[in-house]
Amino acid sequence: MQNRDRLMKGARLAVRVAWVANRVFLAAVVLGLLCSWIFSGLFAEFLSRSFATGDLASVMIGMRFEIVLGIAMSVVTDRLMLALAAIVTSAGAGDPFIADNVRRLRYMGWCLLILQLFIIPGYLIGICFPGMGPAAPHPDVSIAGWISVLMIFVLARVFATGSAMRDDLEGTV
Amino acid sequence: MPIVVRLDDMLARRGMSLTQLSETVDITLANLSILKTGKAKAIRFSTLEAICDVLQCQPGDLLHHEPDADGQ
Repeated sequence: MQNRDRLMKGARLAVRVAWVANRVFLAAVVLGLLCSWIFSGLFAEFLSRSFATGDLASVMIGMRFEIVLGIAMSVVTDRLMLALAAIVTSAGAGDPFIADNVRRLRYMGWCLLILQLFIIPGYLIGICFPGMGPAAPHPDVSIAGWISVLMIFVLARVFATGSAMRDDLEGTV
Repeated sequence: MPIVVRLDDMLARRGMSLTQLSETVDITLANLSILKTGKAKAIRFSTLEAICDVLQCQPGDLLHHEPDADGQ
């Protein structure tokens, strides 16, 4: 029981740290995007030093698209982390087989699926803005990522059954 | 539900209160109330056995099947 408590405390802390780190990343990329417009001269100068390409305007647009992609991924990750935190909290309270967790797991499954699908715009940015070179996103098809999407949806089904069984047990005298 | 629990009738016949039954069979008053009011979804054999032992009755004295209006 003590081990379980320690595990849940550790899980809660890990999720919290990951959530805060993601929020910091989100704030940084939003700031970066805003600065690319506000200080467009400095941004262009930085890019001209970093990229040996003649088409600086194209690189600037590509970089902005990449930042927007980062923002979108961070927002989805934020939603995912919040759902995970809620599940960890309910598990810590000793009551994980509830309908809310089924809904949260399905939500997390969709979030993970969206994160996997972000490789498409990532590829498109690389193709449309070749001047970005190595700075362009290089998304890989992650087998583990796709398996985790499948696992989450299967887990949601398991929780749905567990939740129904728990409801039955509640009405058993 | 077509299964009707007649715990009230048996308690009245034996002159026992729900609280007394709860103390004797070691089942919480809340659970017995759920059973008495027909809100229970299922009953364990062990619960049925304990109640029958105390009330000196058969399961059929406690549970009755009354078909719904649609015959189910």
